[in-house]
Amino acid sequence: MMLRLVGFVVLAIVVAIPLGVLPAAPVTWLVMAALGIGSAGVIARSITLATIAGATALIAYAVALLLARPTGTMLDGLALGAALVLLLAVVQFAERSAGADLGPGVMAAQLRQWLGTGLLGVVAALLLVAGAAAIASGIVGATLPMVVIAASIGAALVGAGVVVLVR
Amino acid sequence: MSWRAAALNLSLLTLVGWALFLGVLTGRVELVLGAVPLAVALVLGRRSGAAPAVEVTHEVSTERLSEGERVTVTITLEAAASHPLVEVLVPLPSRVSVERGNPHAFLTVRAGAPTTWTFALRCEGRQRLRLVGPFVRLWGPLGLASAEARYRAPRTVAVYPTLRPLRVPPPPRRTQASVGNYVSPAQGEGIEPGEIRPFAPGDHVRHVNWRATLRLGELHVTQHHRERNADVVLLLDTLSEVGPPGATVVDAAVRGAADLAAAYLARKDRVGLIEYGGQLRWLRPGSGRAQLQRLLDTLLDASVVFTYVTRDVDLIPPRILPPQALVLALSPLLDARFVRAATDLVARGFDLVVVAVSPVAAARATLPRGRVADLAARLWSLERRRDLDALRRRGLTIVEWDGVSSLDVALATVRREPRRRMPA
Repeated sequence: MMLRLVGFVVLAIVVAIPLGVLPAAPVTWLVMAALGIGSAGVIARSITLATIAGATALIAYAVALLLARPTGTMLDGLALGAALVLLLAVVQFAERSAGADLGPGVMAAQLRQWLGTGLLGVVAALLLVAGAAAIASGIVGATLPMVVIAASIGAALVGAGVVVLVR
Repeated sequence: MSWRAAALNLSLLTLVGWALFLGVLTGRVELVLGAVPLAVALVLGRRSGAAPAVEVTHEVSTERLSEGERVTVTITLEAAASHPLVEVLVPLPSRVSVERGNPHAFLTVRAGAPTTWTFALRCEGRQRLRLVGPFVRLWGPLGLASAEARYRAPRTVAVYPTLRPLRVPPPPRRTQASVGNYVSPAQGEGIEPGEIRPFAPGDHVRHVNWRATLRLGELHVTQHHRERNADVVLLLDTLSEVGPPGATVVDAAVRGAADLAAAYLARKDRVGLIEYGGQLRWLRPGSGRAQLQRLLDTLLDASVVFTYVTRDVDLIPPRILPPQALVLALSPLLDARFVRAATDLVARGFDLVVVAVSPVAAARATLPRGRVADLAARLWSLERRRDLDALRRRGLTIVEWDGVSSLDVALATVRREPRRRMPA
């Protein structure tokens, strides 16, 4: 019950972020869909439904950013990413622990782990932003092809990293 | 035990992909930044290679108990390194219910400190409860990786039928030479007083009847009856069974056999057991508490083993089935082979009492409620009464028992010759 409550709180944060950027249609519709699917995922302890809800919330956020074109909303993106991590972790833990007893200290250890991971993600993103700002000052005046090449190399490295990770 | 990636990795990768794709599509850095916590979680949750070992101890509070009693299972985990999340699952066999706690739990194990988890089970019906070792699963951060192992440390708990005291078990017609509780007409050593006769040289002074001596003016002694024991053989029919698991006619017969064994052993009789079924098993007659334990252990494993082979009672050696023994057959009388064996024993002069465990109620319990089933049960009861009457006419002493109510009440209806007329 408590895990479901935590799941609903995190889901509320996930759907509130796109609405905070643009509280109007079609973002509202997408957010409602994300909320419906996410609620079903939290109630049924389904990681698949929670993933679909997360993807829908990301689409809603992208649409909101595209239509509203706000500035200085980087923290919103970070919060959305951290909230999505928490949502998936909470739903998966609820799924695993259904029907089981939790020993003393388990819930506290999990909360520490979830919040620590979310916080670490935010710190990593902030470091990335700082790094990007430093690089940006170095490539002022660079032509578009150069940026594209650099981005491609970066993307290739990330891809290689992901392959190593999931291998 | 090695780490394996969980399904959550795929979910996180999916969302990372979506965030990056939408970020590139819309040209907004917020979405790319949103992918970073997801990617960081993926990296942090990654585990590879062998998982650290966890020492597991699996214990039960008792290895012997009666049906309906509870046993406490204790799982102790100990590890060199800390594990924030360890999942423990003890698979339970059927006919066992959890009374307290949960066999499935999530625990936190601290380095060097034992973590204990207990739960209590109630055991329904006689059985040899086999608790295999627990499954232990270590979960990595965020549940992104898990390492699972099964600790095979089986513990066996013998769940014996609950013994209900029997006040009047059928008395045997023939006794043995050893001292017991049955008063013999023969004179000798004993505590049951018999006739009074004049004193003769060699008589003990303690047998002098002073009241008769004073009245008659010369020494008289009180004679005593010998007290003998008997051989009792329980013949358990395991050729067929009906009824729901744990409440079959064989289960009822086993309970009855255990009650009878305890009652006769308390009377200093020698009690043996023959399991007449697909496999012919027996236990030589003996007496004492150790024999009761042996009988209960043998009864615990009594079960129906299907076979086409019919084993004749001639195969049973006389030391297992003594000719003077009282044979108590517990059977639903459903299998013609057992009926034939019982009739054969009576024809050979054995003192046989058949406790006919009624299969009607047990079979009725497996069927849904309905008028047709009720009618069928009534018809079956009538047919069964007719069959039992036919067997009685052939010389069998049959006691009908429903398997649920007290066996004492059913046995009270047995008409036997009085003990005092028994030959020595």
